[in-house]
Amino acid sequence: MFGLIPDCKEVTRMVSEGMDRDLPRVQRMKMRMHLWMCKYCSRFEKQLALLRKAGQSLATYRTGPDDSPVLPQDARDRIKQALREGAA
Amino acid sequence: MTQSPSQPSSPEARTDSPETWVDLYGDALYRFALSRLKNGELAEEIVQETFVAALHAYPNFKGRSALKTWLMGILKHKIIDHLRRKYRETPSDQVEAIADGADELFNEKGGWSVRPAKWSVHPGHVYEQKEFLDIFYQCLAGIPDRLAEAFTLREIDGLDTEELCKEMDISPTNSWTMLYRARMQLRRCLEINWIEGEDKE
Repeated sequence: MFGLIPDCKEVTRMVSEGMDRDLPRVQRMKMRMHLWMCKYCSRFEKQLALLRKAGQSLATYRTGPDDSPVLPQDARDRIKQALREGAA
Repeated sequence: MTQSPSQPSSPEARTDSPETWVDLYGDALYRFALSRLKNGELAEEIVQETFVAALHAYPNFKGRSALKTWLMGILKHKIIDHLRRKYRETPSDQVEAIADGADELFNEKGGWSVRPAKWSVHPGHVYEQKEFLDIFYQCLAGIPDRLAEAFTLREIDGLDTEELCKEMDISPTNSWTMLYRARMQLRRCLEINWIEGEDKE
């Protein structure tokens, strides 16, 4: 699938895929070799990690125990009203 | 007491009443909407739209997923629709411009032709940076629907490959390709709209 020394484009693909599954050992080693040598792909790897972090931080925000906003009562009443009218 | 066949009598079946949905799932939907939209009034509005849409769609609800999951699905679409409408009106059309540009980043030898810039974001503080997250959503709303859905399920909802494939009805290989494309486009979009705007380097 990939050549002896993967190029940057191939490495970006491996970095991404490595975030979703365990890459085969050889592929992972080739990727690591490239990342040691390549400043831009290393940056790329950190940036994808940051995208993940951004996603997770939103998930945390959404379920955080000390920051759990509830649907205000007036909105609740308004929505029920809308549902009654919609059903009628 | 006689029950018509369409009126189940078990206590759980009370979820059949749309008004009960508001009490059961209103908070969860509201929190989710708020986390995406960062605006209470707007979140209320979108949650209302969601419940009303659910009311009309309910006859087609097959019960294959839990009611809450189904409502969340409707909510997510409403949010994406909203963001798309919103950002279509903004002057920044760069989000669209990069939509298919993953290949332009590399030369024919597979090296970078547009090198990744240095980002001055501290990963530990990402979630404190509202501006960053706003642009992140702007970008998420700007990439193709299916890619945005894949990314959301994987990185925000935390599904693994198996769950993601089931949810989207795709193969594992396909899921990795879609996530790759989503990440490439999001990364580039952030680089253009946030990093370069913030701090030229």
